[in-house]
Amino acid sequence: MIELKNISKIYDVNKNEKLIALDAINLTIQEGELVVLKGASGSGKSTILSLIAALSKPTNGEVIVDSKKISKLPDYFASIYRRDNIGFIFQKYNLIPTLSVKDNVLLPLIPLNPHADLVDEKLQKVMQRFNIAHKKDVLVRNLSGGEQQRVAIARSYVNDPKIIIADEPTANLDEKLSLHFIEMLRELKLLNKTIIIATHDPLFFNLDFVDREIEIHNGKILR
Amino acid sequence: MKNKINVYLIEYAINAVLRQKYKSFFIVSVFMLLTFLLTSVFFITNSIKHELESTVDALPQIIVQKIKAGRHYDIDVSSVDGILEIAGVSDAVARVWGYYYFENAGVNFSLVGIEQYEKQYKNSFESIVEKFDLTHNEDDSFMVAGEGVYQTMQQNYYKEYFNFIKPDGTLKKVNLAGVFDSDTNLESNDMIVLSKETLREIFDIPESKATDIVVRVENPQEIQTVASKIKLMYPDTRIVTNQDLKVSYQNIFDYKSGIFLALFIVSLFTFFIIIYDKSSGLSNEEKREIGILKAVGWTVDDVLKEKFYESFIISFFAYTLGVGLALAYVYLFQAPLLRDVFVGYSQLKTRFELPFVFDFQTLFLVFLLSVPIYIAATIIPSWKVATLEADEVIR
Ligand SMILES: Nc1ncnc2c1ncn2[C@@H]1O[C@H](COP(=O)(O)OP(=O)(O)O)[C@@H](O)[C@H]1O
Ligand SMILES: [Mg+2]
Repeated sequence: MIELKNISKIYDVNKNEKLIALDAINLTIQEGELVVLKGASGSGKSTILSLIAALSKPTNGEVIVDSKKISKLPDYFASIYRRDNIGFIFQKYNLIPTLSVKDNVLLPLIPLNPHADLVDEKLQKVMQRFNIAHKKDVLVRNLSGGEQQRVAIARSYVNDPKIIIADEPTANLDEKLSLHFIEMLRELKLLNKTIIIATHDPLFFNLDFVDREIEIHNGKILR
Repeated sequence: MKNKINVYLIEYAINAVLRQKYKSFFIVSVFMLLTFLLTSVFFITNSIKHELESTVDALPQIIVQKIKAGRHYDIDVSSVDGILEIAGVSDAVARVWGYYYFENAGVNFSLVGIEQYEKQYKNSFESIVEKFDLTHNEDDSFMVAGEGVYQTMQQNYYKEYFNFIKPDGTLKKVNLAGVFDSDTNLESNDMIVLSKETLREIFDIPESKATDIVVRVENPQEIQTVASKIKLMYPDTRIVTNQDLKVSYQNIFDYKSGIFLALFIVSLFTFFIIIYDKSSGLSNEEKREIGILKAVGWTVDDVLKEKFYESFIISFFAYTLGVGLALAYVYLFQAPLLRDVFVGYSQLKTRFELPFVFDFQTLFLVFLLSVPIYIAATIIPSWKVATLEADEVIR
């Protein structure tokens, strides 16, 4: 279970100017739930995702995941938390362009100092599941947008996280690939992951397997 | 399992070095050049130092020269008897020797006369006396030459003998009986050993005279006392002790080590410029990569470990190459170019071999001056980025 309690995030734009990205938000997401955060650009969706992934810290309030106050974690434990719980599909994918598909998917496993036999099997399975195994030795910078996204999905899934987060997953895809992504999402949902999607793409609205749609407006949740 | 070496992390580091082909190539080249220069200078210094030390150790304890109006003259052989009377003196030998200028090659040979049945004032001469017969007679004289002399002779078409020009302009033919190879290269390289009679003939020195007298003292502590006593007995002499010589040798050497130091500082300076350049910041791609690694669950420790491997691989590789090149350059190729700068003091143009002196300390010093500094210079900026909030770095 993910709980956001009275969360505010205030950015210092410059010395005299502050920007309230999130304003005293309260939100609870159940285990296995698929939630779509929607709202205009700049409303604060990405900020929420990054707080849940412990990639940044709230100015006020607490983020609690499985009764752990992850917003209070020191940097080292925040990394461990991400490693063990979070799969993040970034809007810009955040892949390493000069590494191969396989090496990119491997990244989250490296700190675990894994056993070689297990790694190869795991990588192969994940790449097959997300239909990118045939490109495993190709450098990511030579892939199309859709292929890069599949690598990003495979990477987010490889450490078998409880929570999968996707930020504007269809922003860089055409309609056909977007629909394809939605099919993959359905599959992830069947695997009983907690899934949080931030998007303003209408394709995600009123999908049968989406549990909840939450609308964000100017850093606040609309009822 | 947790404490085992993380092969994937090392693989990632190797991959990182290979991915940045041009950058890695540049760093390895510069780094290698610097370790090469530093190591070469140290190697040459060590060799010369070693050479000087063994030369100084082989010097006579006391040399007595005759001085008139500040000028060096041949000394009376009879002075030996007086010196032998002095308490503490165990031996005194009149030497006949001198420099011979060989015009064709433009080099000086030092000619040393020895007597077959006399006690030799240098250990290395004992073996020459044992090995070669230097008997003197009118038309058949023999000599034993140093390696450098031999080379020079070969280059000037003297294969088996040499014609010395005597003061009166006539020639003295001396046959080459052999080539010696003493433990101190510096001194013996330009040396020719022949019998005293032959030498007297070449330089026209009468039987009653000698170039100087070398004195051996029983107890090395008494060298100064004995030296003063000789001076009292023969006021028209100059007394040179091995301590005096040691000092003047070292003066020459210290002057040279100034040059070494300059070179050393220059290369160190260059090195720090690179370090400075590196520590002034990472490229945006490098920063982003660190941010991505953190975002997918790497801790700061993981990132720094990887950076450590990366910089260790690159710097240790370059260090090994540099040292390997220096070894080959100094000892195999005898340090062309640099060698002329450093060996210039010997004033001989004859061949001079840099002896191989393996000194682990030198290698360790160069290692300390390069590898850890480079690793620190790589890790510190990475550490700065890795401790930032990941969200800021990858946004
Ligand atoms: N690092 C930052 N510094 C300053 N302002 C930021 C930063 N990150 C986000 N913002 C601002 O916070 C607000 C919310 O941003 P974001 O969460 O990215 O919105 P969304 O994802 O819904 O488009 C925006 O106005 C954005 O400009
Ligand atoms: Mg956004």
